[in-house]
Amino acid sequence: MHQTQAVEHETEAAAPARRLGRAIVLTSGKGGVGKTTTTANLGTALASRGVKVVLVDADVGLRNLDILLGLESRVKHHLLDVLEERATLDDALVPSKHGDTLYLLAAAQSREKDDVETEKMKALIETLRERFDYVLIDCPAGIELGFKNAVAGADEAIVVCTPEVSAVRDVDRVVGLLGNRFRPQLVINRLRPALVRKGKMLSVEDVNAILRLPLLGVIADEPDIIVTTNRGEPLALRRENPTGAAYHAIAARVAGEDVPAPMPPLSKPSFMERVSSFLGGKRA
Amino acid sequence: MTPRKIVITSGKGGVGKTTTTANLGATLAKRGKRVILIDADIGLRNLDLVLGLEKRIVFDLVEVAEGRCQLRQALIKDKRFESLSILPAAQTREKDAITTEQFSAIVDLAATQADYVLIDCPAGIEHGFRNAVAGASEAIVVTTPEVSAIRDADRVVGKIAQDRKPIRLIVNRLRPEMVRSGDMLSVDDVCDVLSIELLGVVPDDEEVIDTTNRGEPIVLNDASRLKTIYDKIARRLEGEMVPFTSFDGTSLFGRLLDALKVG
Repeated sequence: MHQTQAVEHETEAAAPARRLGRAIVLTSGKGGVGKTTTTANLGTALASRGVKVVLVDADVGLRNLDILLGLESRVKHHLLDVLEERATLDDALVPSKHGDTLYLLAAAQSREKDDVETEKMKALIETLRERFDYVLIDCPAGIELGFKNAVAGADEAIVVCTPEVSAVRDVDRVVGLLGNRFRPQLVINRLRPALVRKGKMLSVEDVNAILRLPLLGVIADEPDIIVTTNRGEPLALRRENPTGAAYHAIAARVAGEDVPAPMPPLSKPSFMERVSSFLGGKRA
Repeated sequence: MTPRKIVITSGKGGVGKTTTTANLGATLAKRGKRVILIDADIGLRNLDLVLGLEKRIVFDLVEVAEGRCQLRQALIKDKRFESLSILPAAQTREKDAITTEQFSAIVDLAATQADYVLIDCPAGIEHGFRNAVAGASEAIVVTTPEVSAIRDADRVVGKIAQDRKPIRLIVNRLRPEMVRSGDMLSVDDVCDVLSIELLGVVPDDEEVIDTTNRGEPIVLNDASRLKTIYDKIARRLEGEMVPFTSFDGTSLFGRLLDALKVG
């Protein structure tokens, strides 16, 4: 049933003179900075704008995007099944539980990154661009073959960085490897305003003094992210949540709207922050 | 003692492999052991930054492998400790610049000069991972209490178990208050999934962000509760039976005591 739906959407969306969708790779060099979280949330926010979005998990062997979308038990076929022609694209695309314009193409879990042929990956992304407005590619950590394959089919890049010296260094390396073709844009993730105020964390300005990239937005470090990740419900489903709203602002900017880059408030510590800092620097 | 060659790995990135390597290495060195830390993350090295030694790098792992310098020339001695050195990774090379055999030979050579060789593994399960694991005779898997990190850790445990190397677990960045509210997996949950021996549990501590940025491992701070925790991990690694710190059921009063560093 889902497959027929996908086909119907295809014909609907094909009505206005269709141009190729945008293929954007989300990368970072360093792992654990939030590539997959950003992919899931940006994809959810973009899809809520009514455009067709496919999220491609390029982390063959260590896939996680399915968990973040709560789709792990619905994955029947994966990227390598499609590349090796054991399944059609329609068989492998998993429709999201939230919104009917969002799809997942999962990575193979029990295979290796060198099983993917770069040329076939490029061709697949090209096919997806014909069918979707946005193809977001969730890149594996590192700069080995998995990175090269994830980047191969993309024509734009979003680099995700946390305000940490090691993450900044890795992003800087990745931007160098990407070269000029991608015009990378920056998402700063997991900023803790209270720590920045105390001078114990790099500020947005500190990070971008080194990287000098166009800033898409800044996301605060939120325990909510861990909760929603474990539950498989991206925070972007909750627009009333400040972090959810920030992802919608980033999506608007990606879509070309002239809205300000979301920025967690840095101004003054709240009462709860002062109390919790008294209790040992823990977050309320 | 027979020198121990331990890889610190996780599958998922950003769970704290490098921080664990630096702090465990520093703790072992403070306990009088001769320790060599090897950064196996060629192209994305960070262990030098975490230890604040980045400006002292002259030679690196790949240059040792290629015979362009001696191991002892490439080792950077951390002067804050009696017996801690690091072998930095190359930054502008690729992981395949070094073969598994070359890597293992360097680890073996380092082991002739140390009691502990700790190998900081890159994220992922590609060539860099295979090198780092091949050189080791035992493994420490670091994970955070998150579904995605545990799934990746499980994949890595499966790969290492094939080689019949002993594997121990460190659960990193636990937030006890989130476990209590049911918003984070507990240590028991994690151990149930992975079924490997627990070596330690490290609570989430925002001081780590700051100390990492400044290149000072947190175990240098005598007031930090993490210093005690890494000390226990080091003792368990040496075979001592050390009871685990309980993070469960801490009351507000307990947190106040904790804040006052009494706990």
